[in-house]
Amino acid sequence: MKTGSNIFMGLAAFVVLLPIVVVSAAALNGGRSMLFPPKDPTLSRFAEFFLEEPVWRNAMINSVVIAVGSAALAVLLAWPLAFGIWKQGGKGAQLLAGLGAMPFALPPIVFGVGLGFFWGFGGGLGYIWSGIISHAILFLALPLVTISIGLQSIDKAHLDAAATMGATDAVAFRTIILPQMIPYTASGFFFAFVLSFNEFIVMFFVSSSAYSTVTLQIFNSLRNGFTPTMAVAAITFIVVSIIVFSAVARFGDLPRLMGADQSKN
Amino acid sequence: MSSAEITSGVAPTKASAPTLSLPLRTIVLWAVIVTFCVVPFVLVLAISFGQKIEGAAWEWAFTGENYLRFFVGADWPETTTTLYLNRLYYSLHYAVIASVIAVITAFPFTYFLTRMSRAAQSRWLVFLLATMSLSEVFIVMGWDILLSNRSGLPMVLRETGITQWLKDVGWFTQLREWGLANPRDVKFKTSVVATILTMSYLVWPYAVILMYPALSRLDQSMVEAARTMGAGPWTVVRTVVLPTIRMPLIGTVFLLFVFLLGSYVTVTVFADPSKQTLAVSVYEAVRGSTLNAPFGAAQAIILLITGAICLWLGQLLVNRTGSSAEAKA
Repeated sequence: MKTGSNIFMGLAAFVVLLPIVVVSAAALNGGRSMLFPPKDPTLSRFAEFFLEEPVWRNAMINSVVIAVGSAALAVLLAWPLAFGIWKQGGKGAQLLAGLGAMPFALPPIVFGVGLGFFWGFGGGLGYIWSGIISHAILFLALPLVTISIGLQSIDKAHLDAAATMGATDAVAFRTIILPQMIPYTASGFFFAFVLSFNEFIVMFFVSSSAYSTVTLQIFNSLRNGFTPTMAVAAITFIVVSIIVFSAVARFGDLPRLMGADQSKN
Repeated sequence: MSSAEITSGVAPTKASAPTLSLPLRTIVLWAVIVTFCVVPFVLVLAISFGQKIEGAAWEWAFTGENYLRFFVGADWPETTTTLYLNRLYYSLHYAVIASVIAVITAFPFTYFLTRMSRAAQSRWLVFLLATMSLSEVFIVMGWDILLSNRSGLPMVLRETGITQWLKDVGWFTQLREWGLANPRDVKFKTSVVATILTMSYLVWPYAVILMYPALSRLDQSMVEAARTMGAGPWTVVRTVVLPTIRMPLIGTVFLLFVFLLGSYVTVTVFADPSKQTLAVSVYEAVRGSTLNAPFGAAQAIILLITGAICLWLGQLLVNRTGSSAEAKA
């Protein structure tokens, strides 16, 4: 059983890695076409992507601005929602959180079309700020879930003890709840950040071709065929994802966030 | 007033404010959520009853024409076309097969994963989350290289002589019938196989992440008891593990299915033009060549309703199997 499981997991990892490795290797191609194994390996595509070609550099800046902005906004919006459920509970708070998570649960193309109309009327079509708000709403569900999981782990006895000793709600919040919640808040932020970084279809409708993010830029170039410079983008993205999730695993309890049983260690 | 101000007004610092401000905070929260999470969907629904006017614009109306067009075509009753029903069929076709394949292959993986040490689980989860969040455009790019005729799998098969061997044995004609070969070589672009393969790859890490909680909470003592009584590993999985996690398993299939209903990039790249999905024609109607926003909205609503019906059926199925399992116990 043990060797069998190892073989199966190794095989699964191999298949999962296969397209990623191929894309990464294709970035080294010296010529203009995506070949595997790469021909005339060179690193000049990296310089092209990050420094020389303004199209890619601007797309990268837009991606980062939108990902950071929307993740921060999503966390700010998720906090009162999660806190409302935890503190007061009740049908109203749950319905509100359910509505907040709805855009994430439904096919993104429908939400994308809806936001396209929405910003069309609201005058936000084609602006970075409307892109930030759109992604914040789309990925609101992620910090909502991580913060809710975190709040459940707070021992209410501590809060009672604080209240007995004369701490106001505000003081208890600052000294007991907030410190314990930092890892969960950060996890929610990073989940939203990475998914926003990689999101394509909603941004496609909202940007209205006025600006492009890296994923949009890649899609736009798709019809002319893939080039090695795009593969550099792919490498950058997977490296960012691995760094972010490693940080979440390092500073937070990843298995718990993913819903693992607490009693086992 | 931008909505950034609205949201920062209800930031955590305010959460601890005196209870007097609570109603106002609640009202603001409701307003924000309804405006941004609900209104876009309502707009899609409202516009789906609208009318296209010549010259790429549209106007508000209350007509069922867009829905009629979807089911029987614009020239009904003179002629009937099922072009869009066909697209809906392919949306379902790809999504069902891909999500089932993903769950079947992810199940043993997740089971083995939950048996590992906490640290090892963390490392695997980082790996899975990183691949899960990777954009569809990158995944399509990777599989496009892997399956391309020039430098991918078809090239490998040709160079290693497998293509020739397939021709000699006579299986090559079979592959041609399946649409997996052109007269000279094996090909995957465009094919149903490539579409479904990429789609299952796309949701595979989601499948693991979704099944992970249920499998990791599985009562290990039951497994051990079965083993002690002499059951082999496969018998244990079949008689103990599968029945306990059947509901999360079915639930996962349905969630992946709804997710895949909207996948766009994979289909445009890997599916034959005659076998494209509703997501593609929604895009074409709203932003692409045909430019008919109300009709696009109507198609989006049909996609949404299809997803909702499937989720509801899934819920029903889960509840029924759940209660029948309880009745048996």
